[in-house]
Amino acid sequence: MKLHVHLSSDWVLDTEMREYPPREPVDFCIVGTGAGGGVLAQRLARYGFSVVALEAGPWHDSETDMVSDEAGSSRLYWNDLRITGGTEPLELGANNSGRGVGGSTVHYAAFCPRLHPSDFRVRTLDGVATDWPLDYDELEPYYVQMEREYPVSGPARWPWGKPHGYPYAPLQAGTAGLKLVEGCLRLGIRVIAGGPVAIPAGRVGKRPHCIMRGFCLLGCKVGAKSSIHLSHIPDAIAHGAEIRTRCMAYEVAVDVEGRATGVRYYRTFDDGRRVAEEQRARAVVVAGYAIETPRLLLNSTSGRFPDGLANSSGLVGKYLMAQAGPVVWGRFPEPVRQYKAPPACASTEEYYETDPRNDFVRGYALQTVAPLPIAMAHLLVDENGRFGEELLAAMEDYNHYAAIGVLGEILPDARNYVSIHPTAKDQYGIPTSYVHFNLFENDRRMMAAGIATARRVLEAAGATETRYVRRYAHLVGTCRMGFTPTDSVVDRWGRSWDVPNLFVCDGSLLPTQGSANPALTISALAARTADWLRRAVPRGELRNRPAAVAAAAR
Amino acid sequence: MRLERYPGYRVLDQRGHWDDATRRIVLDRVHNVPAFAHFTPHQRHILEALCERVLPQAHKPPERRIPIVPWIDQNCARDVVEGFRFDDMPPTRQAWDEGLAGLDETARALHGAPFADLDGTRQDDVLRAVRAGNPPGATWERLPARRWLIYVALRQISGVYYAHPYAWDEIGFGGPAYPRGYFALNHGEPEPWEVREAPAARGSQP
Repeated sequence: MKLHVHLSSDWVLDTEMREYPPREPVDFCIVGTGAGGGVLAQRLARYGFSVVALEAGPWHDSETDMVSDEAGSSRLYWNDLRITGGTEPLELGANNSGRGVGGSTVHYAAFCPRLHPSDFRVRTLDGVATDWPLDYDELEPYYVQMEREYPVSGPARWPWGKPHGYPYAPLQAGTAGLKLVEGCLRLGIRVIAGGPVAIPAGRVGKRPHCIMRGFCLLGCKVGAKSSIHLSHIPDAIAHGAEIRTRCMAYEVAVDVEGRATGVRYYRTFDDGRRVAEEQRARAVVVAGYAIETPRLLLNSTSGRFPDGLANSSGLVGKYLMAQAGPVVWGRFPEPVRQYKAPPACASTEEYYETDPRNDFVRGYALQTVAPLPIAMAHLLVDENGRFGEELLAAMEDYNHYAAIGVLGEILPDARNYVSIHPTAKDQYGIPTSYVHFNLFENDRRMMAAGIATARRVLEAAGATETRYVRRYAHLVGTCRMGFTPTDSVVDRWGRSWDVPNLFVCDGSLLPTQGSANPALTISALAARTADWLRRAVPRGELRNRPAAVAAAAR
Repeated sequence: MRLERYPGYRVLDQRGHWDDATRRIVLDRVHNVPAFAHFTPHQRHILEALCERVLPQAHKPPERRIPIVPWIDQNCARDVVEGFRFDDMPPTRQAWDEGLAGLDETARALHGAPFADLDGTRQDDVLRAVRAGNPPGATWERLPARRWLIYVALRQISGVYYAHPYAWDEIGFGGPAYPRGYFALNHGEPEPWEVREAPAARGSQP
């Protein structure tokens, strides 16, 4: 079929896209086109595999579908019904789930830090959570690849975790971002301005440079921000992949031998018709992020798999993690005009690692955020339910606020999980997810410390008043990878222990989450899995179930 | 009469610099206010009174007031789902219907009259009781009062208000900036087409 989509001000994806008949098996059917599925589709297509990627949402044409308007951007989000509960019920939809080609990378802030080496060994180092079935060094080459391919701008030397530099120069900061820098400098806290953020300081290919418009979270009309639908999807299509949009997967099909045979989905056509189809495939990859991925697996029940697919461990949906993301804002006597320049600008990871002086393990990062007017009003009403003159006056101070986002590591806990709601269904009639989220003692202490540090920084920068609201960002962990079929849902490559030709390739894989925004890690894991598949498929390895890692090999 | 923080600032004057898609959606909000399709006249009466307490507009000339109730009505009529529902809350449309009835119950219990008939001070009393989480009224025995006030009422009312370019004028927000972009990035400086804050208001405390 012919595609005609604006990806940036200067770039129309005007190309023929290959189409595969659903009845004929392709090598890979991938569900989802975000940071995981999009990169995997591109790699597998380049390696010569036939690939169909199903995307529940549409293409977002940057000229016609993206707007510089908070209230007018809901089409970018996963707004289907989900039920949320627990002691700290997560707000879903807008801030943490994308819908459309590119997934959440369409509306992410584009902070792209790496995890630290310690993140892969939390059980060993801190005696909590779990270790990853791979270490930092194994993922590092893929971080390097992704930082070049997104690409990511940042300093020549990033001092935290394993120190490294960035391929593109730091992005210019606005006034709001510099408040974090100023406060940290006054307190003697190391801080970096200008990255790591996936907004190159200059032009990249057909992508213009950033115009400092500040609407990153509403989709980048300019095409300056690196999103997967710019960085990887066009290349996937050029190498023969089909991106099949407006296709909502509801079941992974399996045969009598317990192998995946394809994906069943509802396809919506331009005229509004909706039909059920099944794409047959020799291997299936689920890359729908940490709620839709376990939901699809748990909804894929059969006589052989009565508790859902890939769920012999009972762990599908378990260990849901969100990062603590409290927003702390300060009021400054001078104007700041925080809406200018990308919100993702400066950060410090000085408090990322476990510090024996703390009353908690692991830590947090501080990053700039810059709420637009509706987001700011919501912070003000959430904080204490203010209304009337108090609300109007606080909003009239809009241009005097600068805000810091604490991004803190909440530890995995089996009591935080995604299940299928017993009665609620989405607009397709598919049973929807029930998301349970609670805070535990370590999480509370970490968050309190992060908020206190952010307040100190803002005060050092000259804020006369600081306030905060607890928030959560990013969703990971619900199909964790691990060492054995009993401790995890998938192996170190994201392959199901139970179904040998079924993979998970998104944030669900993460055994722990660190205090780094997850997109880059998800993409790096996808590129690594693609490299393994390139070797493993010809060897016939997808015929047999994976073997547990021997204790000695850990 | 409130003093204008950004005297004479009219972000809509910049609409010629906006892209077509953005201009269409913002102007549609200004000029095409939807007709009522969900709330009863009595419910509208309560909601109008509630909006005036949350974001007072009576002091403004009528042509500068931002319509709020019609947009909430439209969301209810369309039964819009915004990605999730708290497990202790009904769907949004039902939450509005129940919450507005709850305001009347609390108003009667505290001050002996329906919410819309009370004066502003007494209406604020009612809202503070709801915000505190345990107001009188049978509705609030099943509907979490504080969550309703903050997540349904205050979030949606402020969301509609600050989506409007007249509200952007009040807070000095630059508004849409594509394809022109911003270039005055340092020291909180305005663009040439933005307005400086009135000196009297500058640095004032809320």
